[in-house]
Amino acid sequence: LRGLNNLLFYRYRDLAPQLVPLDYTDKPDVTLPYELIGSMPELKDNPFRQRIAEVFSEDGDGNMTLDDFLDMFSVLSEMAPRDLKAYYAFKIYDFNNDDYICKSDLEKTVNKLTRNELTPEEVRLVCEKVIYEADLDNDGKLSLEDFQHMIIRAPDFLSTFHIRI
Amino acid sequence: MKKKREIRNNVLKEITEKSGRRGTQLDCCTQCLRRTEVSFRRFRNSLSEHFHQLWLWHKTLKIIGGEFGTSVLSYFIFLKWLLSFNIFSFLINFSFITVPQFIAAEPNNLSFTGLELLTGAGYFQQTVLYYGFYTNATISKTENGASYNMQLAYIFTVGIYFVICLLILLFSMAKSFCRNFISPQTYSGNASKLLCTWDFNVTNEKAVKLKQKNLSTQVKEGLTDVHKEVQNFSVTERLVHILLHLGAWAASLGIAVAACSGVYFLSINNLEVRTDFAACFWRRIFPHGLQLLVLFLCRNIILKISIIGILCYYWLDIVAESKSQCWETLIGQDIYRLILVDFIFCLLGSFFGEFLRRIIGTTVCVSLGVPEFDIARNVLDLIYAQTLTWIGILFSPLLPGIQMISFFIVFYTKKVSLMKNCQPPRQVWRAAQMTTFFMFLLFFPSLIGVLSVIAVTVWRLKPSEECGPFRGLSSMFAAVSEWIKILENYTGSKWVVWIYNNLITSELFFFILSIIFLIITYLYWQIIEGRKTMVKLLRNQIVNVSSSFSFILFKVWLPC
Repeated sequence: LRGLNNLLFYRYRDLAPQLVPLDYTDKPDVTLPYELIGSMPELKDNPFRQRIAEVFSEDGDGNMTLDDFLDMFSVLSEMAPRDLKAYYAFKIYDFNNDDYICKSDLEKTVNKLTRNELTPEEVRLVCEKVIYEADLDNDGKLSLEDFQHMIIRAPDFLSTFHIRI
Repeated sequence: MKKKREIRNNVLKEITEKSGRRGTQLDCCTQCLRRTEVSFRRFRNSLSEHFHQLWLWHKTLKIIGGEFGTSVLSYFIFLKWLLSFNIFSFLINFSFITVPQFIAAEPNNLSFTGLELLTGAGYFQQTVLYYGFYTNATISKTENGASYNMQLAYIFTVGIYFVICLLILLFSMAKSFCRNFISPQTYSGNASKLLCTWDFNVTNEKAVKLKQKNLSTQVKEGLTDVHKEVQNFSVTERLVHILLHLGAWAASLGIAVAACSGVYFLSINNLEVRTDFAACFWRRIFPHGLQLLVLFLCRNIILKISIIGILCYYWLDIVAESKSQCWETLIGQDIYRLILVDFIFCLLGSFFGEFLRRIIGTTVCVSLGVPEFDIARNVLDLIYAQTLTWIGILFSPLLPGIQMISFFIVFYTKKVSLMKNCQPPRQVWRAAQMTTFFMFLLFFPSLIGVLSVIAVTVWRLKPSEECGPFRGLSSMFAAVSEWIKILENYTGSKWVVWIYNNLITSELFFFILSIIFLIITYLYWQIIEGRKTMVKLLRNQIVNVSSSFSFILFKVWLPC
């Protein structure tokens, strides 16, 4: 864990060497803007990079401190447990931050996954199908429990929700 | 998270100490101590950083995962895992068996011509590569100094290696099963998979676009399937389907039988031929699809198991009983040649299957397109090669070293071929479950089969009279029983003798152990059945509660 944290610190610093000091004893209040985080080679082509940065940043806008940065990559590493990954994946797909993945969140997710190539009718059909299959408590939207239940049936989730640094 | 922040703060403090200066005034002694403490911690940190960089092929795997996704990456991770088995075996064989042998080596009178690299015979026969060269003496450097019993070293090193392999495979397989097969129903809805399938490993722009395009195609296909519910095949079409399947099975079983008899007769005449050309050819005829993939796997596995079975029968029944001078070395040479041929065919397979196929697909016959990386075939090739190596360890202790080099070359060849000739996979490949299945294949037909072959060799076969560490004994295991007889005379080691007599050679003990394991397995199975029923009941309860809640909400409360 220490080796990984050291590596992540140097990657964080490499994004903006003039802003990030080497000395962190007095806990400096350094926040890197989202544009720098989103330009990392591991994230720059990921369709969900903005949501990832927003979920892990303290201010919710994608501007990350070192702690947020380390949190992000440790959740996305191989060692994070399934429940933690499921929790954060749920927050990433919850675009309006209301603790439920509702129809509009699903539509945005599907559009990001397919690069807007589906017609609105097809998107609507897919979202209805997802809610029909996964919504256990029949409230028309997916709660965290519904999402976790879905994750259990997709064993690849642990290896796909993973970014190598 | 709080614990992680604490660790992180400690790390940051150490990084600061690495780069900054502490302005505190301390006396000389404490300063000295503090400085050594800091430099030791700095050294430990840089060491852990270096180990992180030294993670073998870390960058390469990242690039492969970035461009081709998790499924192709699973093949390379499997290759790396098998390589670690070979490295471990080579290290312990080299340190415990070969190095002492160097001290007591006999001179090699044969001359070296280049042909030995291909045949394994000739000059290599009198080297540490094969069983026959090892001495049966107790090596001691000085008179009355510490002695090293080569017989015990040989049998214990090989035995302990296989026990460790067995345990590692068992635990990895169990952990993998636990992670990937916990739900009783596997795939109960295709649409909801959409949320879980995005591969965050993919970081290459082109690969991301391709993946998005594939997903939209899959979604469109999935939606059109909703409209046509049942595909009505007419009776004749169904009959044709069944006949085709039966024909394919008959043909592949026929090829397997032909290949096995071919291998058998050719082995008797001492010729090595690779006979699974037919299997590869058969694969090209049938198109992709999950069911067909499973069928392909079954046929390929049956073919490979039958070939290895015939070869083992030939070695253990015919070569071992023949009155040749050093039958273990002969078997070792056979396995060396087989591994070499397998390696060459693996490279050729890459050349024909990927490079030529890409040339054909882009110039001559454009409708075929660029090939995809055939994960199943390549993993089965790896398992076959590893099985051969494991069989050969007893007869040629340095064989894992050769297989190590071969795996290194295969890794780089496959990587280069993948980058230049292949496109990312289009179909869904359930990487986690397939990796578990391949681990299971490595355990069940492969390692268990090897252990049975080794057990038969060690317990039943008579070692050759004139060569090797077990010359003159009635069986290889007799070395251990003789050692126990010697130990009986020392009072300090009576417990070893007791364990040997009552636990290892006693059938009653193993019988009782098996009964206990069966009882525990049966109990766990019943517990799992009970839990399945519980899960079903709880799920029904959730649905009932929520529907009664919405009934109350909409029919009773809202209208008021």
